[in-house]
This record gives sequence, C-alpha cells and structure tokens, in this order.
Amino acid sequence: MTLFQARSTLAVSADSRRPNANDPIVAPEQTISTMTAKICAPPLQERWPLWWKLSLGAALFLVLILVISIGWLFYAGIGIWGIDWPVVWGFAIINYVWWIAIASGGTFISALFYLAEVEWRNALNRLAETITIFAAACAAIYPVLHLGRPWLFYWLFPYPNVMTLWPQFRSPLLWDFVAILTYVVSSILFWYFGLVPDLATMRDKAVAPHKRRFYGVLALGFRGSESAWRYYHVGYGLLAALMAPLVISVHSIVGLDFAGAATLGWHSTLFPPFFVFGALLSGFAAVMLLAVPARRLLGLEDFITGRHFDILGKLLLTSSLCVGYAYLMEAFTNFYGPDAAEKRLFANKITGELSPIYWATILFNVLTPQLMWLRRVRLNEIFVVLISIAVIVGMWCERYVIVVMSLRRTHLPSAWGGYTPTIWDWLTLFGAVGLFIAGLLIAIRLLPAISMFEMREVILRNARRDR
Amino acid sequence: MSSVNAQWRSLEELMQDPDFVSRVEQEFPMLGAALSAPRDRRQALTLMAASLALAGAGLSGCDGAPEGHLIPAVRMPSGVVPGMPDYYSSAHVEGGYAAGTVVKHFMGRPIKVEGNPFHPASLGATSPIAQAELLDFYDPRRAWGMTQANLPRSRSALEQALGEQRDKLAATGGAGFVILTGASTSPTLAAQFDALRKSYPQIRWLHWEAVGRENAEKGVALAYGGRFELKPLLQDADVILAIDSDLLSAAPGHLRLAREFAARRNPTRAKMNRLYAIEATPSLTGAVADERFIAGPRETRRILLALAAALLGGAPVEGPPWLDRIVSDLRANRGRAFIHLGPDHAPQAHALVLAMNEALGGRQAVYTLLDAVTHASSDDSLSLASLVTDMRAGQVSSLLIIDSNPVYAAPGALNFAEALGRVEFSLCLSATPNETTAAALWAAPMIHPWEGWSDARAFDGTASVMQPQALPLYQGVEPYHVLGLLLRPDPPPALDLVRQTWNDRLGGAVGDAWIDALAQGVIPNSASPVSNRPLRDDAARAALPEPSSAATILLFRPDPYLLDGRYADNPWLQELPRPLSKISWGNPLLISPRRARELSLANGDVVRITLDGAHVTTPIVITPGQSDDCVVALLGFGRRHAGPVGRNIGVDFFELMGRSCAAPDIQKTGATEELAGTQHHAAMFDESGVYARSGALSQFLADPGFVRRSDEPQPSFYEWKPEGPAAWGMSIDLNACIGCGACVVACQAENNIPVVGKAEVLREREMYWLRIDRYYDGPPESPKVNFQPVLCMHCEEAPCEPVCPVGATMHDAEGLNVMVYNRCIGTRFCSNNCPYKVRRFNYFDFAGEERRAIESRNPEVTVRARGVMEKCTFCLQRIAAARIVADRDGETASAVVTACEAACPTQAFTFGDLAAKGSEVAARRAGPLSYALLADQNTKPRVTYEAHIFNVDKPEETQK
Amino acid sequence: MGSVFRPAANLWASLALLLLSLTLVAFSLLVWFWPHGDAARGVNWAPAQPVPFSHQHHVSGLGIDCRYCHTAVEVSTNAGMPPTYTCMSCHSQIWTNAALLEPVRNSLKDDRPLAWRRITDVPDFVYFDHSIHIAKGVGCSSCHGDVADMALTYKAKSLTMQFCLDCHRDPGPRLQPKDKIYDTRWRRDATTPAPDVLLAQYGVPERNLTDCSICHR
Repeated sequence: MTLFQARSTLAVSADSRRPNANDPIVAPEQTISTMTAKICAPPLQERWPLWWKLSLGAALFLVLILVISIGWLFYAGIGIWGIDWPVVWGFAIINYVWWIAIASGGTFISALFYLAEVEWRNALNRLAETITIFAAACAAIYPVLHLGRPWLFYWLFPYPNVMTLWPQFRSPLLWDFVAILTYVVSSILFWYFGLVPDLATMRDKAVAPHKRRFYGVLALGFRGSESAWRYYHVGYGLLAALMAPLVISVHSIVGLDFAGAATLGWHSTLFPPFFVFGALLSGFAAVMLLAVPARRLLGLEDFITGRHFDILGKLLLTSSLCVGYAYLMEAFTNFYGPDAAEKRLFANKITGELSPIYWATILFNVLTPQLMWLRRVRLNEIFVVLISIAVIVGMWCERYVIVVMSLRRTHLPSAWGGYTPTIWDWLTLFGAVGLFIAGLLIAIRLLPAISMFEMREVILRNARRDR
Repeated sequence: MSSVNAQWRSLEELMQDPDFVSRVEQEFPMLGAALSAPRDRRQALTLMAASLALAGAGLSGCDGAPEGHLIPAVRMPSGVVPGMPDYYSSAHVEGGYAAGTVVKHFMGRPIKVEGNPFHPASLGATSPIAQAELLDFYDPRRAWGMTQANLPRSRSALEQALGEQRDKLAATGGAGFVILTGASTSPTLAAQFDALRKSYPQIRWLHWEAVGRENAEKGVALAYGGRFELKPLLQDADVILAIDSDLLSAAPGHLRLAREFAARRNPTRAKMNRLYAIEATPSLTGAVADERFIAGPRETRRILLALAAALLGGAPVEGPPWLDRIVSDLRANRGRAFIHLGPDHAPQAHALVLAMNEALGGRQAVYTLLDAVTHASSDDSLSLASLVTDMRAGQVSSLLIIDSNPVYAAPGALNFAEALGRVEFSLCLSATPNETTAAALWAAPMIHPWEGWSDARAFDGTASVMQPQALPLYQGVEPYHVLGLLLRPDPPPALDLVRQTWNDRLGGAVGDAWIDALAQGVIPNSASPVSNRPLRDDAARAALPEPSSAATILLFRPDPYLLDGRYADNPWLQELPRPLSKISWGNPLLISPRRARELSLANGDVVRITLDGAHVTTPIVITPGQSDDCVVALLGFGRRHAGPVGRNIGVDFFELMGRSCAAPDIQKTGATEELAGTQHHAAMFDESGVYARSGALSQFLADPGFVRRSDEPQPSFYEWKPEGPAAWGMSIDLNACIGCGACVVACQAENNIPVVGKAEVLREREMYWLRIDRYYDGPPESPKVNFQPVLCMHCEEAPCEPVCPVGATMHDAEGLNVMVYNRCIGTRFCSNNCPYKVRRFNYFDFAGEERRAIESRNPEVTVRARGVMEKCTFCLQRIAAARIVADRDGETASAVVTACEAACPTQAFTFGDLAAKGSEVAARRAGPLSYALLADQNTKPRVTYEAHIFNVDKPEETQK
Repeated sequence: MGSVFRPAANLWASLALLLLSLTLVAFSLLVWFWPHGDAARGVNWAPAQPVPFSHQHHVSGLGIDCRYCHTAVEVSTNAGMPPTYTCMSCHSQIWTNAALLEPVRNSLKDDRPLAWRRITDVPDFVYFDHSIHIAKGVGCSSCHGDVADMALTYKAKSLTMQFCLDCHRDPGPRLQPKDKIYDTRWRRDATTPAPDVLLAQYGVPERNLTDCSICHR
C-alpha cells in the first residue's frame, strides 16, 4: 500500500493557488485518497455557501424570463421578434449557432484528447462535458422556437403518416435536425457514462441514507470489479471514438445550413471548416472561462493548475488563428470571385452602417486572443477570464454578421431592408444564458466537478514515474 | 347570348324574390345581423370579428369528424349554381365618368371586380380604386342609420321631413333650395334635376368636385364657346407633349388613354411614339416620358407663352433651350402631334393649348371634340365659393348634399362647416358617416352603387346601365328616392326612372336590347356625337394670369388612390404604395432634393407649414425630379371623421387650400416621423442598369439584342423539361408598365392577400405577392424612372425548393412553383434562398386580424394562417378552373388570364402556355428585348421582361 | 457500513428498464397506427340530422337518382344540397303531415333553411371538384361509400390524404363504367372493362395527378 502513503509536506500557501508556469498537471502532494476526499466533499456538503444560492437564484430568474418569453412567443407568433422581410432569420438562428459552438469544447477535450491519451484533459473533461450538454440543450430549443408553426416541428422526422409525405432529404435543415439530435443524445450518454464510476464512489462516500440511495440508483450498481472496469473502458473508448467525428460533423452541417443556400454571403464552401474553427474557439473559451471560478470556488486549485491554463491558452490561440484564416479567406474569395453582388455585400459588411459589428468580430476573435502568445497572460486568471468573455461575445457578433448582415443586402436593391431586434429577442437570449448557468450550478452541487477515476489514473501514473 | 340571358334572368328573379333578404341573412351572417341592428357599428364589427375567426381557421381542421353544417337555400334562385361564379356588369364611376366593370359573384356574394372589355373606357382593365371598391361595398360602417342632429331617427321621420321640404318648395318655387353633389354623367339624374326645375323653377344645383376639372372645362368653353369634351386619340399621336398632365393616371378615360399610349411603346411591335413631359412634380406621365423636363409654375407659364409664340405666331418669347427641340418635333409632326395640359392650369392656359392643338392640325386625327358628357350645374355663376357666400347671407334655406363631403374637402379658407350651420335645413346623403354628415342637420346612409339601379357615361359619352349586385345590405337610401320625394310623396323606384331614360333606345319593356345592354355593360352607340364647332379666334389670344411671385409655391395634388379622401377608409388603397414615393399610410409633403438640402431636411423630418395664419405640421419626403420652387401637398388624408382605417392617417392639406398664393412658411420642427415605405432602402440610383433594363431607341435600332449582351448563357448539367401538357410562363413589357398599381390591388383581391397596417409596414412585413419596384437612373435632381413589376418567377431551377425541409414548396408538371401552405412549418429558408425575395411570411395572423367581411374573400384561394410562407401562384385557381373545364368537357384549355394581367390598363403582362403553338407569351419571350432578371443566378425564371426603350437618339440621356 | 440496496434491487432495476422500453415501443406504435385507423377519422359516424333522411329509402326504395337532389354534381365543384323546395316537390303530395317531416314544412313556412350536419368533408385547403371526378369515371361510392344502403347517412371513407393519393397514383382500377357512376352498389367484376381500357375511354389526362397543385391552392 505504499502508493497510498501521503507524500512530503502539505503546506499550501495562498499565493501558490495562483496558476504557475511549472505547475504539474496535479499537485504532487495529492494522493488518491486526498484527491477523492477533496472532490467528493462539495457535493456531499449539507449546506452550500451564499454565492451559490444567490447565483442560482439569479439564474432561475432568467429561466423564468425565458419561459415567459417562449409562452408569449407561442401565443402571439414569431412576429414579436424583429425579423422582417427580407431578414427572415434573426436571433433564433444566431443564438442557436452560438450555443452549439460553445458546446463543442467539451466534446473536443473529453473525446478527442481522450483518444489522443492526453493526461491533462482528465481534470477538465467533466467540467467541459457538463458545459457541452447544457449549451447543447440551450442550442436545441432555438430551431423549434424559430419555426412559424413550432407545434409541427415533428414533421422533420421521417415517420410514416397518412399524408404519405416524407421530409425533404435535400434540405440542409433536415441534416441539421438529425445532426443536432444525434449530438445532444450522444453527448448526454457520454457524459453520464463517464459519471458512473464516480457516482459509485459518491455512493460509497456518502453517509446520509438518502444520498447513498440517490447516488446508488444513478451508479447503476457499478461496483468497480475487475470485469466491470474492463467492459467500462471498452465502452468508454467506443463512445469517445463516436463523439470525436460527431463534433466535426455537427459543426460542418451547421455550416452547410448556410453554405447549402444560394443566399449572398452564405454560398461558400468555406463555411463547414469555418464553423468547426469557430466551434473550437468558442468551446475552448467557454471551458477556460469556467475553469477559473470552478477551481477557485470549489477549491480545485491542485487539479486545475497553471499547466492546464497554459495548454488551454495555446489551444485558444491556435483556434483563433484558424478563425482568422477563415476570415481572411472569406474576404479573399469575395474579391477573387466573379459575383458583383457578393463584393457589394462584403463591402457593406466592412464599411456599411453595421460595420462596427464586423470589426468587433475581428477584434474579439482574432486580435484579442493574440495576447495568449504571452505565458504571463495565459497564466493570469483575470486576463484569461476577460479574453474568454471577449471571444464568446465576438463569436455571437460573428453570427450576427453572417445571418443578419447577409440577408439585409440581397441581390435586388429593391428588396434591401433593415433589422431591429425587439425586447423579446434579447429576453430569449438572456433567458437561455440563465438556463445554462442554472444547469451548471445544479450539476456541481450534485456531482463531482472532476472525474475522480480518471484523476486516479493520473496520480497512479505519476507515482509510477516517480519510482 | 344564352349565358347572358341566364345572367339577367337570374338577376331579375333575385330582384323580385321575396326570399332574397332571408338568403342574404343566411349567406351573409354578419350582414344579416347588421341589418337587424343597423346603427351599432361596434356590434357589426364584433360580428365581423366572429366571422373573421372562421376566415382565420383557413388552415385548421385537418383531422377527425368534420364540424359545421350544410345549409341549402329554401329556394335556389335559378341560374345560381352552388360553387360556380356568376358575373354581372357594372361600372366604376370616378369624377362622374364611368369605366365599365364586371363583378364576380359566388353564391350571390361579390368577391372580385374585373374590367369590362366591351366598355370603351375600360377595355377590360381596371384602376386600383375600381378593384378596391369591393371593400367599400362590404364596409360595415355603412350600417349607421339616419340621424337628425346626430341622433338616430327612423326612415319615416326623414321622409316626413322631406315631405315638409316638398311643401316648402311648392310654396317658394324652389328659391333658397340648393342641391350639392359631385360631378355626374348620369342621364337619369339629369332628367330628375330637369324635372325638379320644371316644378320648382328657382331650385339650384351644383356639381362640385374637390379636385375637379372645371379649369379644363372652362378652358374648352373659352376656346369653343360651349360645353364640350376633349377626347384624345393617342393611338395615332406620334408626338405628345404633356404639361403637368395626368393623361395616363387620372384624366377622363385614362385607362383607355394608357392602353392607346402603351400600344405604341414597344419598338418590336409598333412604331414608337414620343412623349415629352414638362412638369413641376413627378407624375406617372412624366415617369414614362421619353424626355422629362422640370419646370415650376412660373417657368411653365413662360414655356406656354413661348410655345404659343412659336406655334401660333406672334412676338417670340424666350423659352428654355430645350424647348426649340420640342417645338421643331411638334412642327415636324403636324397632324400627328398632341399637347395635353393638366387640370391645375388656368382656363386661359387650356384655351391657349387648345388653340395650339388646332394649329398643329391634329383635330379629328389625334383628338376630337365631343358634346359635353358631364351634367352642368344649374347656372354657370354658381360655384362652391358663391354657394358659401349665399349660405352666409342666409339666401340658402335648404341644402341637400348628395355623396359629397364639403365640410372636409372644401378649401379651408371657405370654412364650409360654419356656413352650413346657417342653413336651416340640411340633409347629407353619404355611404358612411363623414365630416359633413356630422355637421349637417339630417344625415342618411346612401346605398352603394352596387345596391341600386343607375346609369353613367364614359369619357366619350358611352352610357352604361348600372344594375344592382345585391339588395341593400344596410338599409341605404337611394339618391333617386330622396330627389323623387321632393317631387311627390310616392316616387317611382329607380329601375323605372332608368328604364324611362333609356326608353327610346332600349324599349320600355325588358327586351333583348335591355338585356344585351346589361350583359355587355354598355348601351350601343350612345357615345356623344363628334362636334365640329370651330375654334373661337380670340382663344389664341387668351391672356395667362400672372402666377404667384412667391419664392416657394404650395401645389395641391389629389392622392393617386384616396383622391379627395373619399377612399380614406379603404385599407387596400391606404396600404398600396404610392407609385413613385413607394410610401403607404401617409402623405408626407413632397420636396425637391435641393430645397431639402437648403432647409437641411431628411426624409421623415416634420415641418410646420404656415399660410395666412392657417398651419399644418407634416413629415416631408424628398422627391427626385421635383421643381425646386414648389412643395407639393397630397390631398385626401387626415380625415377626422372617418372609420378606424382612415381616421387621422396623414395630414389634411385642404386646410391650407384657397388661401392667398403667398409663399408658405416652412419651419423644421425637429420632430421626425417614420414613413411607411415599402422600398425600405432609400431611393435607389444607378442600379436599374442591371435589373430594370433600359436603353435608347437608337441603341435598339443599332443592335436589337443589346440588352441581353451582358448575361452570357449559363452552363447547366441538366435542363428542366416541361412534362405536363402546359408550360406556364409570363412576359412583362417594361415599355408598357406605367406603375399605376392596378395589378397589385387586383392580385390582393384575387388572392386574399391581407393588409398588415402601418405598424407592420414600418416593420417591413407587407404581404404583396406582386410588387412594383421603382428604380431611378441619373442625378437625384432629375432622374429617369424605371418601374419593374416583380412577382414569383416560377424558376425552373427554383432555389426555394431544395431547402425546404418538409417539401412545402415543390414544382409541378406544368412548371409552376407551388406553395403548399398547409405543409409549411415556417422555417423561412425558402425566402432566404429566393434571389427575387418574392416570398411573404405571415408573422402574425394577418388574415385573421383584418377588419374584413369573410364573405368578401375569394373562396377559391386558401386563407393563409399564422406562421406560413406565401407567394404568387400564377393565379393557380384560375389555371385549375380552366384545366378542369378542359378535361371535363374535352375542350382545349381556354386562355388563362391572371388577375394582374386582367387588370393592367396597358397590357404589360402576358401570361400563357409557352408550349402552346402560336402562344403570345412564347413569342414575346423570344423577342430581342426579352431578358431574365438575375439570369446569372441560373434559376431559369419562367417570368421574363422586355427592356424599357426610350424614344431618344442620344443614349446618355437614358443610360449611364 | 451495510450495502445501500438489497439484492432484489437488481430485479426492480431491470424491471423498470424493461417497462420503460416497453412503454416507449407501445407509444411509438400508437402514434404510428392510430391515424390510419377509422376511429381517428370518424368513419362510420352518423350524426343526428334535423330530419332522419334515409338514402336507402329514397335511392334503393324509390329509385331516385342522386342528381335529382344533388343537382350541381356534374357541372360544379360542389354537388349541391337540395333546397327545401326540392323536398317539398314530393312531400307536398305524400306524407304531407308526417311528424318526421315537420322541420321540412317549417323550413318552407318560416323561410328558414334546414341545417344538415356535414358528414363528408375535406379541409379548407383542399379543393375538390365533383364535376371532374364524375366526368372521369370516379363513382359516388368511391368517396361516399354505398350511400344507397344507408338508412342514416354516415361517413364511409377516411378521406385522408393517403386515401386521395391511393387513387390519384393509380386511378385505373377504381374507375367505373359511365352508366355505373351513380350506382353506389357497383363492384368491379368480370364484365368490367380493364383499367387501362377505362383510362383510355375516359381520356384521363397525361397530367401528373399527384402534383400538389392538383388539390392545393
């Protein structure tokens, strides 16, 4: 049992909580037992601090607003939004694309890097996947709200009916519907599957009978036997292998929603990779943004260390460079291409009355992240938070540019129009943010914020290495 | 004529059928209820709301057991086949002049107005107003009942009051009794007036129109010394000079004139005529002119004098440099040249122009003189001004106002309302309550023209008998009945009076002549005889009055659709975008770009105009091509006592009318008002080169196919082949389109297209399936205008189709791009993908929220629900009807005419089967001027355009 | 500390999962098959009418032709319901004071129309034309069932879009000889001409009868 003996001193001073250049992936003083105890502690606590109650209250208030605005939407019709003629797509689509991109980060980190056997992802994948499922949930409501007659959304299913009609399989919207459905379902599956061993741990750590039952039921009787683990690892590997391509496909198809159209500003083969890049960027930004409060508030500094910020920062930088490349290509193809109307539209984007939004996109998604070249910035939590927020806002602006600004200036000048979002557009946006936050808060309240069984692997491996 | 006889017989029976009222109640539930509670408009509205709920249910009720009832008539009037339409002739009367119409009925309910091809003033076309008359007919505000001092009274009380007037008349011999009514051409009314005069020699009547043509009439009187009608014969005119003219938009017989003009506009089909326009503010005539020159009132006077000097001889007068070109062109085309002057110019100016026309030798060739068609006022000295003076002087004891609204539409300076207060007995007959009914002592609802017998004459005198389309829905009073009551207690019914009038021509009894006259909608050879009255020699010496020397002159023009405000309650006409400004629901002051810059005004800025102490505040709109020395006020808006549709929409400029001609003081208030424009992007310049293509005649002659040079054929992997028996297509001749908007309203009426209201137009959600794009070419100060009707192109490679996830928009075998409303879930992707943006979306339950009688809708077209996309269907219901008849009776499909095509006065639209042998549309499609809009998108549209050719030699004048 | 669950828990867990999956399957089957059933479409449903009119008696019994009452069926979209006068043309002579016919007499007396409950109906966005179907050999019974044997009129066919399309996709076998159109008892038998013969005879047009635009406007 040598491995389980505590190692050198445990003097944790205040300033060592700040991320540090040469942090290890997990603080050396952590042993399996200390780690488990530390991660199990928050969910098992009886009473939670005020910050949690307050923020949950605020989030639930936003959810209430969301419910109200959806109710009014269904009652009055989507005319309550700012969409008009010719700008028939608005916030619903913008928000949808925005959320689904935010969701991608989790899948990248937990699935892709799992396959790549990257050690550091073990501390982040739980957090990342939780972000994924709640962001994906927020994304999934918009395509339905977007419909003129939402109660008929099920006509998108290819189900046998007395009209003897099928959905039209040529339409990108149909592919989109299928892609999102698959993505959301498998994300939830992946997330839950990854939880099972930890739930078992919780079950065993919990004292109060109701908690033991609660975790017991969720753990599906996982006892950690040798065979159980063997099957478990195979299953987990398979799921990861399924998720990795999914995240690419889902964003390419979201891209095809636009590229598949003949609309000015959309009709470009660039879009599928472009949207994948965008997804990477906002995904990493979201994970980074939430890693900071997570480690601070849940006391996980030993597991989410400077090392993680260093790596995430570099990833963010890389993806922002990819996005910058995409922007560059968009401009290039427009001027290289033959279509005068396309040129006119792009000129309007960069110089027109709404050009500030375009330049904000460039500033937030391409320029700001360049700060990440500096290790000091990567390791400074304040900077990390600010840059991540900038990127997430920037990505929303990008979608505004793509959706609204393209539709405002179509081929015929006689059909040019404007677009003014209404209060209901904004409320639906913020309401969804509340839904997302509330989800996260409840998740960390009930579940271990870090995948314990995977952390064990890391610690064991470190221990072996030390020997 | 068998079908015709059937029509008539059925109508005859309707008229005598005692069951009819009950049928009305069964078939017009709302109206039936309105009959029982005539005075409560609110109730009528709620009842409508109830019936509208039904209309809104258009797309519901797919599953389960059917609800509702089958309600057969107790006795089916013969000739009415359930589910099949009937047609009855009628006429639309504007400023007294009739344009023949045919009203389409379903189960006795009028649902659509078409033009009457037999009628000389219609030739099958209609004006937007004639189309919109349908809504006036169903307007529930007509159910308001008699009032005395605005208190409800019974019909018998009114008849008693009129009885007293009768006794008084008998006593006074008619002194102090005045009848005020609009311009009229009705021989029956004239006969009644004469009868009145016979019994009461002193009785007086005044035919008055707020925006009338008395200047022109007086001008004719000056020139020829009598009352005559000038009838242009444009088909033979090679050169036309139009000065501030409304030749194509409002002049008597304008539908026919537009047709004759357009027949000479397409160089591939006819020798082009040439139209010069000189005007202060852009008009439809100016918009389609080959060369348009801007001249304010003062300069126009100088131009007239210069023209007179040049054509009639006399001391030469210095005109603008370009005038010589016009003069020489006019001279070069003696006998085939025609000058037309707008109604706003002084009688002397008209006399002068008539003299010039005589000098140009075009009489009998390009215009003729006919005996007057309109009925004269009792004496020439009588005018509204003199009437008001008499009223003030207490010389008018009784005033009978028939279908006229002087309290609103009289020049503000006259203050008619105050004068009306001094008349001891006043009765106002009006279809709906208005400013005058509120001010008059007695007021009574007048029947709609479709509810009684009458007659009217066209601009060339051709008469039509107007038959009732239905019994009065709201207990209206017939004007003939009221006039008759002044003669005797038991006046004969209008039918007898009308029969009497046409006794000699059509025979007293109901014979074939009478039946044919009703069936055809015209009384054969009833046109006014051509007069050969010579020109009075002092006509050429008529002295033009000095125009105002003010720096800015305030000009008044009738709104093209509301006219003098009588149609302010008609939602179709309120929302119909004005041809040039593309603004609906309002009448901003028109101001030239330079003046706007000087006053630092932008579109929508509110200004305060003060003239002789009277003032109004109004938003402005910058109008390219307007003279800098005038601002133009459109009349007909700002009704204070109108219905929910028209009340306080826009500004009432009558207030400023009749004041001194000093310069109005225009002050910027700093406030701004949103203008409900349907071309949301501000005036578009230099774009039309690609979209609404145009060129000079010289270019065309040099290279007939020059408009198509720009778009080379697109490569395609496969060609769409028409599998069906027909391949529907349309060709639109931009040379013919004058932008009048008749097609837009016709489409709206035919296809149950909802009105969305000002708020939603401001949110860019209007629902028109067919819109008329307006492009400007050239400098903002004096641009060329290009109109381009845009509707669904029914592309063979339709981009909207592949993107719909549920296949709600599909192609059919005959090449129609069909929209299946009940399959649509509202993703709106099709609209994104439509390069022409012709798809419209029901953001709200627009059809359900419309204040409209469900009976007035076209039962052949689905009423679209909330959340559904819609668009032009090429009038699929008409195609289907023809298709069914053809298949059923084994005939070849009769020609399908779309609603827009039928209404168009200039035959700009040609619809038909491209696959059929010798099809007109195929021929036009193959013509050299034909091009496809956005051909580079490779959508292979089934709608093509013929480029607009201007009859000028120098390309730079029309092309960039 | 002891284990959280007793061994029986395994059983309960598996049972719960089983039940869950069963309900899912059952639900989806229901959603699938219910609309195809007659119940969903109110087939065989015969509402109470103002007068218990019997087609059986009038058509089979007295041999009155469909067109005697439904006059417009050959010329119009709408078959037409008989006005009260049509009923009274006989019933002013026979059964003049039958209690059953009270409503009919009242209708004439008070000039109030009879209000029959609608039985056969298609949604407002479907434009069905009787005349063309009659002209092309589609008999009454194809959509209305064997009306001649209905004591009380009931809905005989589902009239779903599928029902319409089945025929529009392959009209031939359902076409009836000209003289049999109004015979609601008609069944295809040995003497009936072959489908394609009938198709040719009626000249059913080459147009694509499954186009959306055939029924929807």
